[in-house]
Amino acid sequence: MIRNYFKIAWRNLKKKKLYTAIHILGLFAGISFAILITVFIWQELQVNNKLKNAGQQYILTSQWKNPNMGADFTTLGPLAESLKDNYPQLVTNYYRWDGITSVIANGNTNFREGIQLGDESLLKMYGFNLLHGNAEKAFNNPFSVVIKAEKALKFFGKTDVVGEALTIQNFEGENHEFTITGVLNEISENSVSQFFEKEDNGFFIAKNSGSFFDRAKFQDWESRIFVSFVELQPGKTAKDLEIPIQKLINTHTSEEIKQNLQIVPVKLTDYYLEKDNGTVKRLLYTLAFIGLFIILMAIINFINISISHSGSRIREIGIRKVLGGRRKQLIIQFLSESIILTTIATLMACIGYSLFRPWFGELIGKELISFSQLPAYFLLIPILLIAFVGILSGLYPAVILSSYKSIDALNRKLKNSFGSENLRKALLGFQYITALIVLIAAVIVGQQVNYFFGKGLGYEKESVVTAAVPRDWTPEGVQKMKTIRDNFEKIPSVESVSLSYEIPNSNNGFQITSFKAGEKPEMAITAQGFVADEAYLETYKILLLAGENLQADESNANNVVINKKAVEAYGFKNVNEAIGQQLNILGEDEPLTVIGVFDDFHFESMQQQIKPQVMFNVNANAIYRYFSFKLKPNAVNKSLTEIDKQWQVLMPGTSFEYKFMDETLANLYTREIRFKKAANTSTLLALLIALLGIFGMVALSIDKRLKEIAIRKVLGASVKNIGYLFVKEFLIILGISIFIACPLGYWLMQSWLDNYAYRITIGLNPFITAIFLIGSCTVILILLQTLKIAISNPVNSLRAE
Amino acid sequence: MLLELNHIFKWVSQGGSRVFLLKDINLQVEEGEFISIMGPSGSGKSTLLNVIGMLDGFQEGEYNFLEESVHAMKEKNRSKLYKEYIGFVFQAYHLIDELTVYENIETPLLYKNVKSSERKALVADMLDRFNIVGKKDLFPSQLSGGQQQLVGIARALIAKPKLILADEPTGNLNSKQSEEIMQLFKELNKEGVTIIQATHSELNAAYGSRTIHLLDGGRNNI
Repeated sequence: MIRNYFKIAWRNLKKKKLYTAIHILGLFAGISFAILITVFIWQELQVNNKLKNAGQQYILTSQWKNPNMGADFTTLGPLAESLKDNYPQLVTNYYRWDGITSVIANGNTNFREGIQLGDESLLKMYGFNLLHGNAEKAFNNPFSVVIKAEKALKFFGKTDVVGEALTIQNFEGENHEFTITGVLNEISENSVSQFFEKEDNGFFIAKNSGSFFDRAKFQDWESRIFVSFVELQPGKTAKDLEIPIQKLINTHTSEEIKQNLQIVPVKLTDYYLEKDNGTVKRLLYTLAFIGLFIILMAIINFINISISHSGSRIREIGIRKVLGGRRKQLIIQFLSESIILTTIATLMACIGYSLFRPWFGELIGKELISFSQLPAYFLLIPILLIAFVGILSGLYPAVILSSYKSIDALNRKLKNSFGSENLRKALLGFQYITALIVLIAAVIVGQQVNYFFGKGLGYEKESVVTAAVPRDWTPEGVQKMKTIRDNFEKIPSVESVSLSYEIPNSNNGFQITSFKAGEKPEMAITAQGFVADEAYLETYKILLLAGENLQADESNANNVVINKKAVEAYGFKNVNEAIGQQLNILGEDEPLTVIGVFDDFHFESMQQQIKPQVMFNVNANAIYRYFSFKLKPNAVNKSLTEIDKQWQVLMPGTSFEYKFMDETLANLYTREIRFKKAANTSTLLALLIALLGIFGMVALSIDKRLKEIAIRKVLGASVKNIGYLFVKEFLIILGISIFIACPLGYWLMQSWLDNYAYRITIGLNPFITAIFLIGSCTVILILLQTLKIAISNPVNSLRAE
Repeated sequence: MLLELNHIFKWVSQGGSRVFLLKDINLQVEEGEFISIMGPSGSGKSTLLNVIGMLDGFQEGEYNFLEESVHAMKEKNRSKLYKEYIGFVFQAYHLIDELTVYENIETPLLYKNVKSSERKALVADMLDRFNIVGKKDLFPSQLSGGQQQLVGIARALIAKPKLILADEPTGNLNSKQSEEIMQLFKELNKEGVTIIQATHSELNAAYGSRTIHLLDGGRNNI
């Protein structure tokens, strides 16, 4: 019997190719998306779960009363170590690291690389396997380095490189040979060896080589820059750490830290999802929600089209009933059809998975693993999907269709179907609403992202490239760099060059807490500290509002320029009043002197308010990281080759690794750009599915009103009249949907925009675009179908029975 | 006695007043009869057949089929009863377009949960008897009207019903095909199948052993 159902179902589907195609296409789109999202969510949940004793691994995060006082993912240098030393019954192990970037070379091959300078416990504590080398002894000797396999390939072209040497530079510009003692095996994603999503560290050096980098402040309680992990004894939790941490802080740290810092140990398995205010978690929720909606739309579509199409099935139902088919049997028959369709769509989606994987990976910025790497229980997902979607989408049509009375069905009286018409209209309305909201959202997200890159930045990003330079943080080093800078400036296609520590990528060197001279220290504000040369404002086309620029030959380290925001924050009445005024730094005697004020620009992402900024002169403060080149717009490629050529001459042994400001910005807004892509994709899917739904509904309308159309035509109705007849029916539903979707979309997007300190105002544009697009698609779909009927000879329709 | 209708009334309400489709119908049918129901369009022939076939209900009266009271039965039992004893033949054949000749004939057996091997034998027998073995894999649209009705009758007979209800079985056929179909009914009747047909044609009515005239749903005139 079951086999028979399937045979009939199959034949039915084969016969109505168009409808089958629509059904499968809709389901395929929905299910593909659902599978991709499921895999992605699963993958994100796996992060940090594969670490040894994952349940006992914690990271010590810092909550500063003023966020400018320190990053939340780092903490005090000796904290983790002291916890283990003083409370061995609580903490079994710890690992801390300090991230540095330097030039690493193998002969003539050299790159700037991220280095993780940390405790020797790294490999054993987390059970990281080495592809080559001995994990036990890897960090026994100073000047040992363990590298990731991809880096081995990058520098040597092979992974078996234990015993080879790499030259690493320190901040004074000295080079030292490091021996490779291990090559890390591929590690599943975790927050220890890949702390940052971008620019992750590929080189691991133990603190026994720390003195070379002069950053080995692992024992300094005032140093706040160490990412610190601890492994707790079985059965202990974060709560047990509370009092010990408090005790240690009270004994060792300064008053400022005591009052402003709270340490929060976070379980590593939660950390990834929860960090940055739960960004990842929110993304997962959003995606799950979108996935659910898309698949819901696909199901609704199926229901709508199935019922719509029941006209042609109705006689068959009647016959089957007369022949003795019971309702249950009919329901099973219809269900088997929907299950077959869902199975086909799901199988296609599974095959499609490998096709969509790279594309989706790009969308969410993470590679999805291939089907074969998924655990076996993932086989259940397609099966569950088939059961769930197949039954959910088939049940309602099956129940409705099988409820027709046999005689009515035989005589093709569709009386019953009118009752469910309202429901179907409501379902269509739901699709309209979803499509409208998604479309409105996509337009607004697009506008906001464009705004990030637009005029509101406060500086000019066009034709600006930046490149990191080798370090020699001494007065002589600065002079040498400035000479090199002047040499670059002589290239005709280069407009100006600036040497600075910061570029507008949200990473600045230090915070400075100070107050207007004459005020109380309690009035102190924390500002972002910058170090730059006199060409900085010129290169980025940042306006100088008052006073004078940084001076080329400045010898006073405390002459600074500040931004407009700082003028307000320090309490000056206007920009001119600030000139020549002094600022007292908390805990220091020498005051700063404000010599100029520059206009505000977006140093961080627009999610952040522009902060007060204090810019020091590199001439008297010897730290720097970047050259910024402003190129003449019509000769960008030529100037890049020119610069590269000069670079090799001026700074042999380093390479010119440049980045356009646009790329730097894109990195700053990775999340938003992804969100924009995701919104566009969802729009496409939602629109596709909604249009399929409308198509089905139109087909039903026409089917039912075939005779009416014929009669109207005989009575003299034009093609236009008939088209309008159907358009009207749908535009009413669309109209109601618009009324619901617009406020809802506005509210949703406003709350999204509220995340951004600088945002667009929502205008009419997104709404008009969405309404127009969906409205015109609907009309075109309707007209395409009605025209065929409207043009045909009415006699054909009237003659039937 | 096969079935008995006593004072059957069926009506629909239209604007507050009742329009009678069947009005005080009394009918007794013995096994082995071949009854023709005649009357003008709208006189209630089809409605009466549907009531007899238990596809349609009625408001008043008694209906006994093989000593069982149909009017007091639940839908489920009623459908079980007609599935067991009644076969239908329609003017428009009502074959399922998506199924082959073979499968169309087989369908009632599927709904009666007959075993596969037995189904095969029964259908093969029927195909042979109606001389349509060569057409068993064709779809209805590939057959002439007469052939389609032949399949329709074969399908009605497959479950070995006691009673065949035929609603204008030759209404869509030409006279030659009509004659063949009526001849077939006559033979079936001889073999013991009770037949009730609704027809416009005096000629066809003559094949029956008894004719009932319906006048506008009103009292039957026997």
